[in-house]
Amino acid sequence: MSDKPHEHKPAPMVDEVSDFEALEIAVRELAIEKGLFSAEDHRRWTEYVHTLGPLPAARLVAKAWLDPEYKKLAVTDGVKASLEVGVDWINSPPTGFGTPSDYCNLRVLEDTPKLKHVVVCTLCSCYPRPILGQSPEWYRTPNYRRRLVRWPRQVLAEFGLQLPPDIEIRVADSNQKTRYMVMPTRPAGTEGWSEEQLAEIVTRDCLIGVAVPKPGVKANAKRPVHPAVHPVHHDH
Amino acid sequence: MNASTKNDTSAENGEHRVDLTPIPLLETIRAHGRVWGDLAAQYGVTNPDPPWKVNLEATCDGLSAEACALPLLERRQEEDELSASLYADVPFPERQLLALAHSMIKRGLVDEGELARRMKQVHERLTSV
Repeated sequence: MSDKPHEHKPAPMVDEVSDFEALEIAVRELAIEKGLFSAEDHRRWTEYVHTLGPLPAARLVAKAWLDPEYKKLAVTDGVKASLEVGVDWINSPPTGFGTPSDYCNLRVLEDTPKLKHVVVCTLCSCYPRPILGQSPEWYRTPNYRRRLVRWPRQVLAEFGLQLPPDIEIRVADSNQKTRYMVMPTRPAGTEGWSEEQLAEIVTRDCLIGVAVPKPGVKANAKRPVHPAVHPVHHDH
Repeated sequence: MNASTKNDTSAENGEHRVDLTPIPLLETIRAHGRVWGDLAAQYGVTNPDPPWKVNLEATCDGLSAEACALPLLERRQEEDELSASLYADVPFPERQLLALAHSMIKRGLVDEGELARRMKQVHERLTSV
């Protein structure tokens, strides 16, 4: 045991209450007082949101890369395959039957050397939250949502993913009932890797389809957020 | 494109999903509220999201899932409109919060005055010691 005194430097924290923080609390408290939801409802939803992140989806992909039988299951029954990485689409959300925004039908889209999938929600920002966590800001923007379905190759290039013309790109449009995640192809240079090592390179962006896994790349690149030119049309 | 130009263009097309008339309380917050990016930089905090973001997500879930006071799709469409107009200069997720408050006030789910009073109480409560 060292006789040096412990030097615990507290983590920095924001030492002021912003108007936004006060607004969030005020909105929540008034909603509870008016019966729009209960304090208990909110607590359950908050706990649920806290549990969400991209790791289960990354593990699903890594596991599938290592186990052909599991890969078959993932592609044919994403909800069942999710159970093996700790995600119960039906019972985990506080409602007990999925949520209005996280319906219980997950499809895992398998890339091949000649086929690349990418996910969008043209209508709003539907996202496979139970297995992938909160959507990034750019995924929510009308700019991404509109342009990806029109010019997928160009939009992917803006993300730094330049695909040769002979690779087909398939865009999956999420909706209220079906959510998608991408199973990218396993990259070269990962031979002999463990599931844990493989999962580390399956980033959120790889699972949406705007990036592909690369040995050594474990984080999402910072993405620019563009405004849409004609942002307010909802032509459905 | 500024908010007024966007409003005018959309009004001609009659496509508003939400009343884009500015709400004074929210305008004040938009103009003077300190966003997380600035606070984090000042205090040396590395968390990319404000701590209240999770609560905001849960509030949005609660509003659509429980009594269905504000359905998800309507809220998101209104957030899109407001994000492209009134709150275009506000970063995310502050923009999402302003849009949610805007949608709730315009629907009569909360009143602007009571929201202002509650904010004042919250601020006093959190800074009382």
